[in-house]
Amino acid sequence: MQLISDKKINNTVNKKSIKAALTLATTALLGSVQGATANSAEPLTEDTWAFDSAFLYYSEADRVSAAEAIINAKKIYADESILSLKLTIDALTGASANGGVAQSNVQTFTRPSGKGDYDVKAGDTPLDDTFHDTRVQFNAQWTQVLIQNYTGSAGVHLSKEYDYLSLGVNGNLAYDFNKKNSTFSFGLSYFQDTFEPEGGIPKPFASMPLAYHDNGDKSGHDASRQSNDDGKTTTDVMFGFTQVINRHMVTQFNYSYSFVDGYLTDPFKILSLVDDDGIVQDYLYESRPDERIKQSVFAQAKYHFDETILDVSYRYMWDDWQIDSHTVDTRFYIPLDNGSYLEPHFRFYQQTAAEFYQPFIMQGKAIPEFASADYRIGDMTAYTVGLKYGMKLSDGNDLSFRLEYYRQTPESAGHNAPGALAGMELYENIDAIIAQVSYSF
Amino acid sequence: MRETLITKRDDGYCIAFDAMASPCEVIVETLDKSLALIIGKEVSSEVWRIEDKYSRYNSHSLCSKINKSCGNPVDIDDETFALLNFSDTCYQLSDGTFDITSGVLRKVWNFDCSDNIPSQEAIAKELKNIGWHKVKYDRTHITLPANMEIDFGGIGKEYAVDRAILLIKALTKQAVLVNLGGDLATNSARKNGSPWQVGVEHPGFVNKKTMVVSLFKGALATSGDAKRFLRKNGQRYSHILNAKTGWPIEHAPRSITVSAPQCIQAGILATLSQMQGENAERFLLEQEIKHWSIR
Repeated sequence: MQLISDKKINNTVNKKSIKAALTLATTALLGSVQGATANSAEPLTEDTWAFDSAFLYYSEADRVSAAEAIINAKKIYADESILSLKLTIDALTGASANGGVAQSNVQTFTRPSGKGDYDVKAGDTPLDDTFHDTRVQFNAQWTQVLIQNYTGSAGVHLSKEYDYLSLGVNGNLAYDFNKKNSTFSFGLSYFQDTFEPEGGIPKPFASMPLAYHDNGDKSGHDASRQSNDDGKTTTDVMFGFTQVINRHMVTQFNYSYSFVDGYLTDPFKILSLVDDDGIVQDYLYESRPDERIKQSVFAQAKYHFDETILDVSYRYMWDDWQIDSHTVDTRFYIPLDNGSYLEPHFRFYQQTAAEFYQPFIMQGKAIPEFASADYRIGDMTAYTVGLKYGMKLSDGNDLSFRLEYYRQTPESAGHNAPGALAGMELYENIDAIIAQVSYSF
Repeated sequence: MRETLITKRDDGYCIAFDAMASPCEVIVETLDKSLALIIGKEVSSEVWRIEDKYSRYNSHSLCSKINKSCGNPVDIDDETFALLNFSDTCYQLSDGTFDITSGVLRKVWNFDCSDNIPSQEAIAKELKNIGWHKVKYDRTHITLPANMEIDFGGIGKEYAVDRAILLIKALTKQAVLVNLGGDLATNSARKNGSPWQVGVEHPGFVNKKTMVVSLFKGALATSGDAKRFLRKNGQRYSHILNAKTGWPIEHAPRSITVSAPQCIQAGILATLSQMQGENAERFLLEQEIKHWSIR
């Protein structure tokens, strides 16, 4: 290859372009020789852990509130191996929609445990206020270069709640090529979850029994239960491709395939059985298929302007429950003086309902094989707007604040609302505020 | 002797050493002396590595090996290939006035403040051995025609500054300033958010006070040296030579200091602006590049 051979000198180099051309040349020069260093390969960063901590508060108007504390410790060894440990603690309180429809009279629901009940005011979307749970989650990930251009990573996951245990392992292999401008990655993960809800697992479409009280007769409750616990497994396969387009732009593309097998029903969710006048006659426990295959494609572009960075991503997810979703997520990083920055965030989400989603069951019609009134698998649109402010403290550590507003708008999937239901809000909006403080040290 | 000297400052430590014929210093804002020592060792080792590899004064350097190759191909590595590519860009951007093969003009131009102006014949003889376009290179080899020489003197020190900053970024988040004989850069602003106050010295300007420049981030490089010029018949000849004519650039500023994100960019912009002679400052203004000029 002959790069220079009486190359004609361009006499019309635009003066304005010199700075840009030099920037490009500098990036090529300084980026290409990362490997060449002085031969003092002592384990310099040994014993230096980097810590990230965050406290997050999520609050839905009138519904669930969650507080979450995260601490992430990362250690980079001299051979560039990385050990990352993450501990997350969540506390959840508040009320969650139980799947029932609003009525013009007070409704009484049995708590999931079977012991005791709660009332819902006329006209209100039924919310179960039983929820208060604490979750402790631990992740450990080890990443290292295996042979030149191949990076391997393996990790374990443990998550424990009062009634839930999730164990997982994952492995990932990345191959860099094209002078590290391109990366292919392949990942596998496997999770095993065990669910032991208080009060046991209800039978599909069993009628919600009346509550029993201390020393009361619990035979009605027991008759509605099929077991004390159940579980599910999740297998994920992910293919990724990252491409540096130029010094301004990086793109990433992922495809993932997820197979979930086991108990996928929410034992706390019910459906209202209504008559032709829209009056509730009974509450039936929901039932979902015991398999779900989810696939998604994801594309992301990060564009570095001279100072700012635009990050745009799009995800399309589809599954064999007929849920399709689109997610567009945009962040814009604006550096300010003294190492501080602002980052506006906008996210848009839209999904179609699962084929077995229905807001209620009509009396007199055949009970379907599967049904759920869980708004989370119904038609919906949601968006998030937020702003993050980050600053560098005098000791060189990073502190950031994030405040976001989330609105979820469930939509009718075309189910007619008979009689009294016509005047009820079946698809109630959810508004939430998310506040986060992060500190890196 | 290659050694580093560490001293305590109010705001941290300073590690001083000599390299590339210049006094060098690394200022680390930390109370952790061991961290400062590690950074000092890493930076000095890297600067000396680059000096050993690319100095034309060191007869064992790769640069000398290329210059003594008598027209035969010489093996090069990725780092050298990248430096040659960068030099090529500078040659293209300067329309051939910046040329790493122009060092042979040193044989006829001796900037010792005298009136010793070489003859046009002597210059023309050396011009035959100049011309980057005659050099052939690819990712693994360079072939330099016999009697030609290359010289990384115009970019080596600035390159070393940038390499040092890359190493530092991998080691620490504390604020560090690297100053290699006036070409300098920093990895971040100081702890208290205030800029680095950098004294830009102008060797030879006896009556000039050291100019103090504020630097939040990025790099500074200076082109010009008041001690290196010739004077004849009232005409001052600066040591900045036009590689195409073999003659000094006329009406160039005595010194230009340029600020840029990377030191090597700042250095080349300072040199390219000098090549513009009396239009040096306008050249930088047009590109909205922050600079300080002394005429």
